Amino acid sequence: METVEGESFGEKYDLFVCLQCGKCTGSCPLSMRSQLNPRKLVREALLLENEAVMDKDFLWDCTTCATCRLRCPRDLQPVEVIIGMRSILIEEAKVPSTVQEALESTFKNGNPWGRAPSKRVEWAAELSIKKASEGAEYLYYVGCTPAYDPRVQSVARSLVRLFDAAGVDFAILGNEEKCCGNEIRRMGEIGLFEMLMEDNIEMFENYGVERIVTTSPHCYNVFKNEYEGLKAEVFHYTQLLCDKLDEGKLKLTKELKKKVIYQDPCFLGKQNKVFEEPRKLLSSIPGVELLEYDREKMRSVCCEGGGGRMWAEATATGERTAEMRVKEAAALGAEVIAVACPFCLLTFEDAVKTTGYEGKIEVKDISELLIEAIEG
Amino acid sequence: MKIVVCVKHVPDTAEADVVITPDKKGIKKEGLAFGINEWDEYALEEAILTKEKYGGEVVAITIGGKDSEDTLRRCLAKGADRAVRVEDPALEGSDAYALAKALGAVIKKEMPDYDIIFTGTQAGDDGFAQVGQTLAETLGIPHAALVTKVEIQDGKAKIHRELEGGLEEVLEIQLPAVLAVQTGINEPRYVSIMGIRKAKKKELKVLNLSDVGLSPDEVGEKGSLLKLEELYVPPVEKMAEILTGAPEETAARLASILDEKGLIPK
Ligand code: SF4
Ligand code: SF4
Repeated sequence: METVEGESFGEKYDLFVCLQCGKCTGSCPLSMRSQLNPRKLVREALLLENEAVMDKDFLWDCTTCATCRLRCPRDLQPVEVIIGMRSILIEEAKVPSTVQEALESTFKNGNPWGRAPSKRVEWAAELSIKKASEGAEYLYYVGCTPAYDPRVQSVARSLVRLFDAAGVDFAILGNEEKCCGNEIRRMGEIGLFEMLMEDNIEMFENYGVERIVTTSPHCYNVFKNEYEGLKAEVFHYTQLLCDKLDEGKLKLTKELKKKVIYQDPCFLGKQNKVFEEPRKLLSSIPGVELLEYDREKMRSVCCEGGGGRMWAEATATGERTAEMRVKEAAALGAEVIAVACPFCLLTFEDAVKTTGYEGKIEVKDISELLIEAIEG
Repeated sequence: MKIVVCVKHVPDTAEADVVITPDKKGIKKEGLAFGINEWDEYALEEAILTKEKYGGEVVAITIGGKDSEDTLRRCLAKGADRAVRVEDPALEGSDAYALAKALGAVIKKEMPDYDIIFTGTQAGDDGFAQVGQTLAETLGIPHAALVTKVEIQDGKAKIHRELEGGLEEVLEIQLPAVLAVQTGINEPRYVSIMGIRKAKKKELKVLNLSDVGLSPDEVGEKGSLLKLEELYVPPVEKMAEILTGAPEETAARLASILDEKGLIPK
């Protein structure tokens, strides 16, 4: 196969050294329930022509959790091969209509949710927050889902109150903020991703941004690892708040007597190795008993919200991973599933409903729990 | 097949707050997202599908400023062979009739031997739904609006039109004709940013009125049958009264309210 830029898959992704050991497929959270088989795809990328991807609907099942990449004994990147194959589908306009809508909206509106750019800052209507033009130590990059999704807006509002409480000097871009492109690149729309990256870097530079703090691990990941030429330092909010906790500026005083289990987001945990800060924040809340999944940290299981899956109907059948995780949390006696990612928040809340645990288990973002601990 | 498709670059106002300009003749563009008019996107797809099936050439035409080239570039990336943009200060204040005259003049100059002209049934901004039919009249050719299916036959086309109440009308129309397309007629394809970049090589011509042989008097306010007096946002009514009680009581109360307000003709 050839990438859309005209290189051979074999060379671009170094596929000749693949052992066909199948560790990637064995570690894939989808391969049991879908035709998605990273080992096979790596082989096919070497042997078949581009036409072979045309009817592979299951390529959209991949959540880009990157477990396959992290487990590969040869340091190969099956997930990038899948993204490369999606790029072929994009250039050939073989795109599920929901993905197409998300991409078109991102181009036109700067967000994949089909929402008006002039409504982006509505979540903050009742808050007074500095604008990036006024300058601040941190740029709080809110992200599309926290800005527009009514459930996740509560996370953005909680973070503003926490930053204020901890004395963080921060500003937001307001309606000027645009999609970070993490999911866009993973849906295979390379050109659109590059456009967003260039526009965003230019905007950050115009405002003299030196430090960025994000709501979402997805935005954090792309700024930190994929934005070529971005000079600003990048933090996930759990890192910044954990610092403020250590400095004694964030005071968690109110008791919250709850058994809480933490779901590592793939883009924060296994992909960026931020494991301790979220746990430290949670266990510093008086009264919280922090539980752990059997599979946590590097072995944690993806919620199926990443890689464009928020906009693509999966071909996978059977129990979703988030449903499995909710049941496991319940069996461990958890009352709250704490998350640190907008997509985890949405997929887990759905899973709580579909598994019948509504009213028994709550899904909360860490920021929402911290608010209860500072304000009661 | 020689195919023309007329497109318009419009703001998305479904969710955004619309602010009227101080002269009350337009809306503020700041903060609004612009793109191809929804109906035109289907018209464009139909034009490209027709070309893919029968061969030929597609030219995309728009009337508008430099920013509307975004829409033309998308047309080119999706499969139009060339694009023409007409811009002239004299076009300011044109109604559907004047715009139809201008489009007709461009078409006669750029593709005089056209077989089909596709337009959207209406535009999402002013919602006139007149340009297609008026264009056909100025060119002296048949037209159909709300078209939901097109089958080309020898020198003719069999078309389906959407009527009210879920009815569909099937017609035979002599070509050349103007077909004003309804949304849903097809599934507009995706075009990637890479595709748009590649299409930069295709021709995009910019013309003014004299290039297409029109005098300033034929367009703008002078050449229009309608004149825009004022745009305003309808005031939000604050009074709402919910009538409760038995049906005969609420009905009697409703009738007397309507009567008091002078809404029942005597
Ligand atoms: S884990 Fe790596 S080496 Fe093994 S089959 Fe997958 S890509 Fe090949
Ligand atoms: S990124 Fe995750 S979902 Fe995708 S193939 Fe790899 S392991 Fe499977």
